[in-house]
Amino acid sequence: MSTDVVTEVMPLTASNITVRFGGLVAVKDVSFTVPPASIVSLIGPNGAGKTTFFNVLTGLYRPTTGSVALNGKDITGQTPHKIASLGLGRTFQNIRLFGLMTAAENVMVGMHSHTTSNIVQIVARTRHQRREEVESREFAQEMLDFVGIGRHSEEYARNLSYGDQRRLEVARALALRPKVLLLDEPTAGMNPQESAVFVDFVRRVRDEQGVSILLIEHDMSVVMRASERITVLDQGEKIAEGGPDDIRNNPRVVEAYLGRTGTEGSAR
Amino acid sequence: MATSTPDTLEKGSKGDVTSSHNRRWALGFLIAAIITYLFYAFVVPNLGAAGKTFVSTWIPAVATNEALVWVICAVGLNIVVGYAGLLDLGFVAFWAIGGYTAGWIMSTFIQAVNPGFYLASAAYPDQPGIHLNWWLVLIIAACLCAFAGVLIGAPTLRLKSDYLALVTLAFGEIIPQVFLNADKFTNGARGIAPLDNVSPLPFGPSAISIGDVKIPISQPLGPFDTSAKFLLFAIVAAFAIFVSLRIREGRLGRAWLAIREDELAASMMGVPLMRTKLAAYAVGAFMGGMGGVVYAIHTNSVFPDRFTFSISILLLAMIVLGGMGNVWGVMIGALGLAWFNSTGLPQFGFWFNGQFGTAINFPSYSFLILGAILVLMMLFRREGLFPETRTRQILREAERSDAEELDGGEA
Amino acid sequence: MGHNVPPDLLFFPSEGVFISTKGRHMTITAVEKADNRPTLLRREKIERVLAYGLLVAAAIWLLWNAIGAPVQFANVTLGGIRTGAIYALVALGYTLVYGIIELINFAHGDLFMLGSVFSALILVNFFGAGTGSPKDWALMILTLIIVMAMCAGMNVAAEFIGYRRLRRAPKLAPLITAVGISFIFQWLGIVLNGSAPKSWPKVIPNGGIHFGDVILDYSTIVVIAVTLPLLGLMTYLVQQTRQGKAMRATAQDQDAARLMGINVNRTISFTFGLGGAMAGAAGLLYLETFGTTRYDAGFQLGLMAFTAAVLGGIGNLKGAVVGGFIIGVIQAWNDGLPHGLGQQWSQSVVFTILILLMVFKPEGLYGKPTVEKV
Repeated sequence: MSTDVVTEVMPLTASNITVRFGGLVAVKDVSFTVPPASIVSLIGPNGAGKTTFFNVLTGLYRPTTGSVALNGKDITGQTPHKIASLGLGRTFQNIRLFGLMTAAENVMVGMHSHTTSNIVQIVARTRHQRREEVESREFAQEMLDFVGIGRHSEEYARNLSYGDQRRLEVARALALRPKVLLLDEPTAGMNPQESAVFVDFVRRVRDEQGVSILLIEHDMSVVMRASERITVLDQGEKIAEGGPDDIRNNPRVVEAYLGRTGTEGSAR
Repeated sequence: MATSTPDTLEKGSKGDVTSSHNRRWALGFLIAAIITYLFYAFVVPNLGAAGKTFVSTWIPAVATNEALVWVICAVGLNIVVGYAGLLDLGFVAFWAIGGYTAGWIMSTFIQAVNPGFYLASAAYPDQPGIHLNWWLVLIIAACLCAFAGVLIGAPTLRLKSDYLALVTLAFGEIIPQVFLNADKFTNGARGIAPLDNVSPLPFGPSAISIGDVKIPISQPLGPFDTSAKFLLFAIVAAFAIFVSLRIREGRLGRAWLAIREDELAASMMGVPLMRTKLAAYAVGAFMGGMGGVVYAIHTNSVFPDRFTFSISILLLAMIVLGGMGNVWGVMIGALGLAWFNSTGLPQFGFWFNGQFGTAINFPSYSFLILGAILVLMMLFRREGLFPETRTRQILREAERSDAEELDGGEA
Repeated sequence: MGHNVPPDLLFFPSEGVFISTKGRHMTITAVEKADNRPTLLRREKIERVLAYGLLVAAAIWLLWNAIGAPVQFANVTLGGIRTGAIYALVALGYTLVYGIIELINFAHGDLFMLGSVFSALILVNFFGAGTGSPKDWALMILTLIIVMAMCAGMNVAAEFIGYRRLRRAPKLAPLITAVGISFIFQWLGIVLNGSAPKSWPKVIPNGGIHFGDVILDYSTIVVIAVTLPLLGLMTYLVQQTRQGKAMRATAQDQDAARLMGINVNRTISFTFGLGGAMAGAAGLLYLETFGTTRYDAGFQLGLMAFTAAVLGGIGNLKGAVVGGFIIGVIQAWNDGLPHGLGQQWSQSVVFTILILLMVFKPEGLYGKPTVEKV
């Protein structure tokens, strides 16, 4: 439905997504768009279906009904790697870096789908392959510099500090040259100051890399400060959508979500 | 073989370190290979009786050549297990396929082809069968095995690692059994023997003479030309090592590492899991096929009962011992265990039994020793004797206690 | 690690079904499934058609055999049920261990082999049992208990020495350890049994009860008479007792079980012991059925039993038993029916089934596909 209304091509559009596991409806008829160069958030109490919805976007689950379009291209039911290479980067709630690879190598893995050397070219180390390697390395360095950990490029990812690991995840996702960057609870485990810094960082990523950012976040201060639009899920359904102020004052949201922040905080 | 060193590497400190490291090892390999060749070709024949006995007891040339077969296969398996982190317990299947390919297109076995088909082969003419030059056979068998690897991998690589291990094991059992039972195509338990004689090159002078020593060039090598065969095998081994070193550096090697580290994250970063895993399988199988051909040439025959499960396990033990992922470590592990298995243990048994008048069956201890190597290495030195730089740190870390697990969980 | 289980895993597995939801160790991860997704629908259809085609072909082949030689068919099937019971007992060991720590215990087949060797040594060499007298039967039952205890002890020891320290290690490590332990067991087999197969006198007399030309062997009766109570006991242990509840909880989530005051280490040891005891029983029954022991018996039979466990859905007790019987019967049909491929192909046939299963139905008959969470 929403695609009919919107005239310009949206980086990410999810239309009428329903996910059913057996008898349980985890996500019910949720439509959702990420406008160009925007920061939008998806919030909701635990079990609201956020993660499931996220997994549908990234291709881990196939929706029971509904479709997902990335930059106007239908990606419903595509494999995760295909979706990633089409321009959907993501980070993970509990950091999933390649610990025994250097920071630069981590980023270069993200460039896998943008490089083309085949086995023979790699073994023969052809001109094409060498050029690609040099370019990859330079681009990786550029990305690391951009997120501010350029001096750690030769360090193993597992040896980086927590904050740097978070940044490395963003750099790795940016290496996909994504249209949309999904951040899954990026400030989990950060103190308020670090969170604030991270919000600025997310803004900068949006402004300088030209990507749209979709945020799943528990920290309400981060959500309210960073996002331009917020979508609220509860029990698998979209109950509200709008700017931070609308959401703050929406009685349904207050009832469904803010009223339960106590349990929310203690659950994890 | 010196040319096998990665000659031009990109800038960046790590790359330089790796490349100089590899260059040193490659140089070592070259020197060791030449010294070994000279030793067997020129020193041993001139030794006294005692020296000859010592060599034929403790370091026979046959065992040295066979050790190179193990190196080739272990390096291949290392790509699957060490690089991509997929446990393959049926690697012997590729060894068998490679061996039988050699048996088919490098002997008089296919009698239907009469008069025989010859292609740059050193075999004696006027025999039926297909007789290709062994370098061609090497390539054909390796490609066939790579293809077989893809065929085997395609349905199974979707599986989780431990299921995969079992399925590969099943393949490792089925394929030799098929070779054993498909009597018409493989001669069953009687095997295929002899194979054609091979020559180092298909053309050129028959041999070069330096003083009173002759280095064979295009003359066919008989079953006892072990030192000349050693050189050939060493070249194949060097090729296998070269390929695995180079492939590690590029985008494919990184993708394998990423999959080994975290499959899900890798796929979310645009790495196609199936295709990348299949590539590991195919490259590993390619080398397994080369190993199979070389082994067939080494023994001048192919018999189905040689392809047993313990070969797959011995290969695995070599990798585990040497250091998963580190090509040079794997090479040393392979040389060491191959020597131990073929010569060291039985000869030690002879010596021991002779010395102390016992009648202990030492070769039967190979089960215990192999098993103990696997278990002890996993418990105490998971990174192997010659660990890869990157695994060196993680595997040494202290195990977490239960209390810590409670606090931190697994994350 | 957070425990926000995906909704499809919320249903608590019943009937002794173990499905763990621990982080990265999922039965089939979603990625692996998802990796073939673009053509999933078409692929699914093709797979289904292929699978049903194979089943129909197998049914026709069976009918052809059954009509052609009904007596032979019945006898062969009975023999298959007997082997199947032994497979079922061994398969239980695989399934129990997999259910609780998600490890394919490669050494389990060799533990069974040791069970058969122990049985022969104790029953024949130590007790000097002959054939058929009441005293011999009593000695056999005594041996059964001793061997079950011995194998249970060995399995517990293997877990204690080998796998326990590797519980948090990368997946490859415990697997390789299991392979190593399997080799050590085989070496023990060589030491105790020699490298050649050995024949032993059996307590169970040859022959059986005749129903026309169909013969129900005495050994079949004994095997079933021992297996069924053991299975019953096992089901009771897992479903009704405190220890069984602890096992199920540990299988679900080790950390949570620990927080609930369950002694996880002891529970895992208990599970290994239970599986080992079943393997010991299978060893004795094998000896009494075939009258031979060989050090490499465990490798082949172990693989067959593992196939059975996978067929039933690994981690599922009922599945292991059903799978064991099915595999036993299929193998017997292949080996003994007039249009079968014959014994020299029996391994290939069973392993082909294993591979087909992995392709078409990796979760088995009773298992559930699981999904990795992010």
